[in-house]
Amino acid sequence: MRLVRARLFCGALLLCAGGGDPALAQDADAAAEDDPFAAFEEADWEDPWAEEQQGLDWTGFIETAAGARWSDVPNLDRLTLGEFRVRAETRYVAEHYSIDFKGELLWDQVVTDLDAQLRELAVSFTPARFMDVKIGRQVLTWGTGDLLFLNDLFPKDFISFFAGRDEDYLKSAADTARVSFYTDVVNLDLAWTPDFAPDDYLYGERFVFWNPALGAPAAPETPRRAAAPGDDEIALRLFRTVGPTEYAIYGYDGRWKQPLGADADGRPVFPRLRSWGASVRTPWLQGLFNVETAFYDSLDDPQGDDPRIPNSELRLLLGYEQELVRNLTGGVQLYAERISDHDRLVENAPVPARAREKWRSVATLRLTHRAWRDALTSSLFMFVSPSDEDFYLRPSISWRRDDHWSLSGGVNLFGGREEHTFFGQLEENSNGWVRLRYNY
Amino acid sequence: MNAGKWIVTLLAGIALPLVASGEALTDVDEIVERANLAAYYSGEDGRSEARMMIEDSQGRRQLRQFTVLRRNEEAGGDQHYMVFFSRPSDVRGTVFLVAKHMDRDDDRWLYLPGLDLVRRISASDKRTSFVGSHFYYEDVSGRNPALDEHRLVETTDAHYVLESTPRDPAAVEFVRYVTRVDRDTFLPVKTEYYDGQDRVYRVMEVAEVEDVQGYPTATRSLISMPLEGGSTLMEFRSIEYDVGLPEDIFSERYLRQPPTRWLQRDGG
Repeated sequence: MRLVRARLFCGALLLCAGGGDPALAQDADAAAEDDPFAAFEEADWEDPWAEEQQGLDWTGFIETAAGARWSDVPNLDRLTLGEFRVRAETRYVAEHYSIDFKGELLWDQVVTDLDAQLRELAVSFTPARFMDVKIGRQVLTWGTGDLLFLNDLFPKDFISFFAGRDEDYLKSAADTARVSFYTDVVNLDLAWTPDFAPDDYLYGERFVFWNPALGAPAAPETPRRAAAPGDDEIALRLFRTVGPTEYAIYGYDGRWKQPLGADADGRPVFPRLRSWGASVRTPWLQGLFNVETAFYDSLDDPQGDDPRIPNSELRLLLGYEQELVRNLTGGVQLYAERISDHDRLVENAPVPARAREKWRSVATLRLTHRAWRDALTSSLFMFVSPSDEDFYLRPSISWRRDDHWSLSGGVNLFGGREEHTFFGQLEENSNGWVRLRYNY
Repeated sequence: MNAGKWIVTLLAGIALPLVASGEALTDVDEIVERANLAAYYSGEDGRSEARMMIEDSQGRRQLRQFTVLRRNEEAGGDQHYMVFFSRPSDVRGTVFLVAKHMDRDDDRWLYLPGLDLVRRISASDKRTSFVGSHFYYEDVSGRNPALDEHRLVETTDAHYVLESTPRDPAAVEFVRYVTRVDRDTFLPVKTEYYDGQDRVYRVMEVAEVEDVQGYPTATRSLISMPLEGGSTLMEFRSIEYDVGLPEDIFSERYLRQPPTRWLQRDGG
């Protein structure tokens, strides 16, 4: 193999040095003679799209990961990530439908538990020329924000995100029926989830969060979980691309994705939520510009005077991304939340000094550098909130050695002036992590 | 789509060998246009399987395998491309969509199945590695000839030798490039890119040409990096032209739901 490689390479060099016409064709032939694909099975050329091909084609990965916080916290381990994960994926394509499967077996040292997780098991089909249907466990994403979500109310796993798992795990899977209609005028996506799928929110294992009763961030001795409401949720998107510009209108009817409310006994609950929004994404200058807005209508607190239920709010996002120099891309976002009936919120708050500001603002910066033809990717994502005076930094570096091995590492750094703000409460969760993955 | 133009192109295709074996062309714009058509516009549409062997400067090898669909709005004009990855496992299911425009920047999207995310790629980001290979995003759908100024520097027995310089030098990493265009097929068979010190740092060469449905088609091409080392060999198979791809294939719908019927061999 080594010999073949050397010869091919020299062939290429010779060609570059020489310029004559007759030499060109010969050397090109010589370079082609030793088949550089010889190391790969001829089976690779079997029709990757053939129906009911040679059995199911299984792929996936094996991954081991470790991460730890750098401060001691009562009730919690230093370990924030310690796991061994095996993923298996396949796709079955028949004439009129296809089935996708992604499953995992996970040993999690932090909660000392072996868990089988179904990330995707869904059937897709096209009942009419203008219609696609996908039913089952699946991950869904829409909207224009980069790690900021306004109209994307599909479940997110913030525990994975803060612990340093692959960014794919920020989106959790839900059991959803997605029906899409395509017309010349506009397209429509409907996603109905019969059993409300909340975020994986912080509940007291692995990470601390603000505890109003203690007046400090802490991990409760018994995990603080909310009861599942057991009703459905529906999300819709109307979208169209006109020339280079993408337009979308969104709607959602369900619940706040985290247990932001409390019942009469003080137990966490998911209050009802309805939202409407819109977005535009278009090329601008040398890059891409996006704007998105959403109004969150908190149905259980229409007057904004119930301190146990979040008030309605308006969310706004502006974003711009472009390549700064070759292989270095920069993106900035300005994001704001405006609380409705803020005066009533303060009037009714148990501790008015800790009530949210009327406006919460966040600016983000993403810098991504790619070297060695994308094999080495360095990235910094920074959330900074001028209104809350807190921040979250996510530097990471990832090396893809070859088609099988990759190694990555990074840091989640939280901080702020006060202990009860969005990122400030997470300060003691600051951690570092490494992951080693083998793709098969 | 434009039937008139299509017929003209067809006639030009038939007449081509006669002209080529006769006297040489002298109009650089005509050579550039024909080379562009030969390299990127064969048929009204096309379907092909491809694989790339990427070798880094240490000799480590990687493989990419994908299926490409292409559809012309008009010959030499706007086009749509879609690239569906099947190997290796960590890029399987990833789809790359390009809407190529003559009068403005191309629109490009990447679908990432793990997040169900349709990510848009900014226009400036086009001369960067295409999925880890030595090909650039721009190489997949072709660089708009209008972005460079072209000069015919030599006509040999077999080739037209063109020298091209960018109209906006700040937007690209090369200072100039020299292309050898085959006089018979009008395929660009070798392109050398020069850096600021007038060194050849990047070479594209065609290693194999096959006749597919009457269109001379580069089925094997190599990009090599003589200064830093490393190369990518790209190979095409199961090429079909004029398969009748519908226009609506090239949309967000089919990023999420691959159009299996059109991806299969002898599909449609």
